[in-house]
Amino acid sequence: MRRRVLLVGLAIWSLTPLALLAVVSVAGGWRFPTLLGDDPGLAAWRSLGGGALGHATSTSLALGIGTGVGAAAVGLLAGRALARERGGPRTLGLIFAFLPVATPPLLLGIGLQFTFLRLGLGGTAAGVWLAHLVPAIGYTTLYFVAVFTSWDFGIERAARQLGATRRQTLVRVIAPLLRRPLAEAALLGFLVSWAQVPLTLLVGQGRVRSLTIEVLSLVQAGQDGLAAAGALVLLLPPLLLIALATWGVREAEVVVA
Amino acid sequence: MTRRSLRPLAVGAAVAAPVFVGVGYAAGASIGMWGVGAGDALDPRRFVRVLASPVTLESTLWTLRVAFISTLLSAVVAAALAIALRRADRVGRWGRALAVLPLPIPHLVAAVAALLILGQSGLLARVAFALGAISGPAEMPPLVFDRGGVGMTIALLWKEIPFLFLVAASVLATRGEALEEAARRLGASEWDVLRRVTWPTLWRGLLPASVAVFTFVVGSWEVAVLLAPSDPLALPLLTWERYIDSDLSRRPDAFVLALLGVSIAAVAVVAHELATRRPADTRGTAR
Repeated sequence: MRRRVLLVGLAIWSLTPLALLAVVSVAGGWRFPTLLGDDPGLAAWRSLGGGALGHATSTSLALGIGTGVGAAAVGLLAGRALARERGGPRTLGLIFAFLPVATPPLLLGIGLQFTFLRLGLGGTAAGVWLAHLVPAIGYTTLYFVAVFTSWDFGIERAARQLGATRRQTLVRVIAPLLRRPLAEAALLGFLVSWAQVPLTLLVGQGRVRSLTIEVLSLVQAGQDGLAAAGALVLLLPPLLLIALATWGVREAEVVVA
Repeated sequence: MTRRSLRPLAVGAAVAAPVFVGVGYAAGASIGMWGVGAGDALDPRRFVRVLASPVTLESTLWTLRVAFISTLLSAVVAAALAIALRRADRVGRWGRALAVLPLPIPHLVAAVAALLILGQSGLLARVAFALGAISGPAEMPPLVFDRGGVGMTIALLWKEIPFLFLVAASVLATRGEALEEAARRLGASEWDVLRRVTWPTLWRGLLPASVAVFTFVVGSWEVAVLLAPSDPLALPLLTWERYIDSDLSRRPDAFVLALLGVSIAAVAVVAHELATRRPADTRGTAR
């Protein structure tokens, strides 16, 4: 009985914020004291097809995909190099790799903004993409360190000893084994970029309007309906990630069974 | 040291290079060497002036307090949930799924939802009005932009409990069960098992993740900008305010504050490394 009460409490705690966002996004004006809205409709959602919210969604998607791909590629190389070694330099290397993850994005942005301006990247999507890559590469590097720490490098040696060239070993042995970790690292990089706020604001100088920046502006302007619709769109990729991860775990369980 | 043995160091340094560039720039700008507000002469005294100012002190203490309370409460709730939901029955499965649901949701979304729920005219105020507990938004106790940081703490709990729950559940599954079973066979009561085996295992396992959560919360800007009070300002907001100050002579203050934030993060990184190593060292000693 007590565990069932706990379950109900958890459902209220975890789902109420999401349910409320859904209600406010279709409320058509959510003035006090109404609970469900003054003029329910899909006006806020229609703005996603075009207008600022739609444009911001496209910008965020492009930045996220670019960051995911770039961070997965660089993280793979860095993580592999770090995982192959042992001892003091490796520990220090890992601490260094942890720094972009641990440094708050606001502080990173403040430190980097001038350099980006000097390089002509301030206020550009390319600059924001490069800025997003900084923490994303930190995350994917640490992810690939974990992958390669339990990696059997003997497989590569065996392929080479059996006559495979370096390229054949890469394409036929390593790449198929890394397909899944690469996809997961790309998703990780995508999510890091997708949720960025201060880095985008500082390096993008308000000219690069990602979905997070748009939602922040809308909520500060009191446009609750539009902000809630934008916030719900921000939820979609993370929820997709949970679905994929759950599917991946089930698939692994099937393979093990 | 050979070139090969230095390779991981070089790789780690390359990954962290933008942080070094950023910190280097902030260090120079904080003493007026370059950047907006740089004068003819260097001003190292700015460091002392900014760090010793009551505004910085109050802001730092407020931020550390909110971060500490949020992290501590998150860890305690996560540990309790991990213990309560460890059984593989239907309640356990649904409970675990609900507990981790907020994990991948961006902090900005959590802050927007918290504003809509806890704000003066938010969902709680509407429910209180419908129940006749208040007659208008003005009678609702302030839960956002409040000096106590209640709203910010609740939003952070919603976001951080799932992460710590995941870690706690994983610690219990990998390290806890065998030790608990051994204690039971040796005659320990359920209370003794909880007090002497489960809890020590959990807190040691949760410590590194808690340090990571604390660091994140200290630097969190998007939650603070929507939920934190204007007096005192949270450290990230104070840094931001100085950075965009129309008085150019005050802008270098932002770099001093940024370096303060980076220092807190650096201390946390070292604490994280130590916390990660401690269980292994303990195991080594026990052997």
